[in-house]
Amino acid sequence: MKEESLFESLLRRGVSRRDFMKFCTSMAATLALPTAFSAQIAEALEKKQKPYVVWLELSDCAGDSEAILRASRPTIGQLVLDVISLEYHETIMAPSGHSAEKSLQDVVKNHKGKYIAIVEGAIPLKDGGIYCTVGGRTALEIAKEVCGNAMATLAVGSCASFGGVAAAKPNPTQCVGVKEALPSATVVNLPGCPVNPENVTATVVHFLTFGALPALDKNHRPLFAYGKRIHDNCERRPHFDAGQFVKKWGDEGHRLGWCLYEVGCKGPQAYMNCPTIRYNEGTSWPVMAGHPCFACAMPQSWDALGPIYSRLPNVPGASYQATADKVGVAVVGAAAAGVAAHAIIRASTSKGKQEDK
Amino acid sequence: MAKIAIDPVTRIEGHLRLEVEIDGGKVKDAWASGTMWRGMELIVKNRDPREVWAILSRI
Repeated sequence: MKEESLFESLLRRGVSRRDFMKFCTSMAATLALPTAFSAQIAEALEKKQKPYVVWLELSDCAGDSEAILRASRPTIGQLVLDVISLEYHETIMAPSGHSAEKSLQDVVKNHKGKYIAIVEGAIPLKDGGIYCTVGGRTALEIAKEVCGNAMATLAVGSCASFGGVAAAKPNPTQCVGVKEALPSATVVNLPGCPVNPENVTATVVHFLTFGALPALDKNHRPLFAYGKRIHDNCERRPHFDAGQFVKKWGDEGHRLGWCLYEVGCKGPQAYMNCPTIRYNEGTSWPVMAGHPCFACAMPQSWDALGPIYSRLPNVPGASYQATADKVGVAVVGAAAAGVAAHAIIRASTSKGKQEDK
Repeated sequence: MAKIAIDPVTRIEGHLRLEVEIDGGKVKDAWASGTMWRGMELIVKNRDPREVWAILSRI
């Protein structure tokens, strides 16, 4: 029996042709492709069969699953992820115990080299990896088998990408991301805390359309989503340039939506498409809601850039510091230099670890 | 005496293993274990208290 294509299954679920074309256009935009590509995307989705997908939860909090599952209404993107034959996902699957593990084994055996593995959560290496086990096997053993036999692995969220919050100092269980644990696996990192479902969908759509993974940066992140700096696309950027800063929570500047740099925003050091695609179906993102970005998508973000409410030192363009903040500059300066040096050291160590090509 | 182990317990958030000891069709003893630990308590130690909410909300 011929399996139904993605488009056929979307039609069956009540998606109109018009909505489908709108979705393909928005995917072309997310992927930073000219709109002409939406036709190519549509053609691919109409013809391609549903890819098999397994979703592993390792040292995680299920936040990335939540981000994808908990939309107020099912979006086409969600349906695409839904109709990709999700064969295994602990939080939502019906079987438990042995039968759950059998579903996983079936995919690995019967679709070897043809399925997509999505990994949520870090991999703990300490003490033989005993700090995360499923069905009596360690996260590392499972990932080795599942990611090693997959066509490609999508590491969703910052934990699967770089260790994330589980790897925050002192990293009690020696958590690392999938690529670091399995250097030979084909991994696309989609960091963010949580991952933005739009980026997961876009990566899958890119794969279905072009038969290849999107272009990646040195940290294995797709350039379409992680190629631009948050600071450069931020809707509050004009306030930064004008020297209008929130000084205290709830002050006049905060109420007027001024720049959050002084209260700790890490946007100048963060690369992700939050300002353009936002979260929850384009509703909002942290800075829009009045909270500083804490660079959740960057490697070792919990330690490399200092505490989330402390000001990032030495941001070019923030020259007002010499005048508006004269008092205390000497005191802050010494501490800032220390933080900056620390950040550079962290950045270079993580770079060394990540570059394994 | 028979022992049943259910691991993973699905449709919950987190990693759970259940073991049940059965004797003559009756449950004699049972154990539940969380099979994942990240040491969040150790991670928040000595940190700026203002960022602890952000870390611990990710349990």
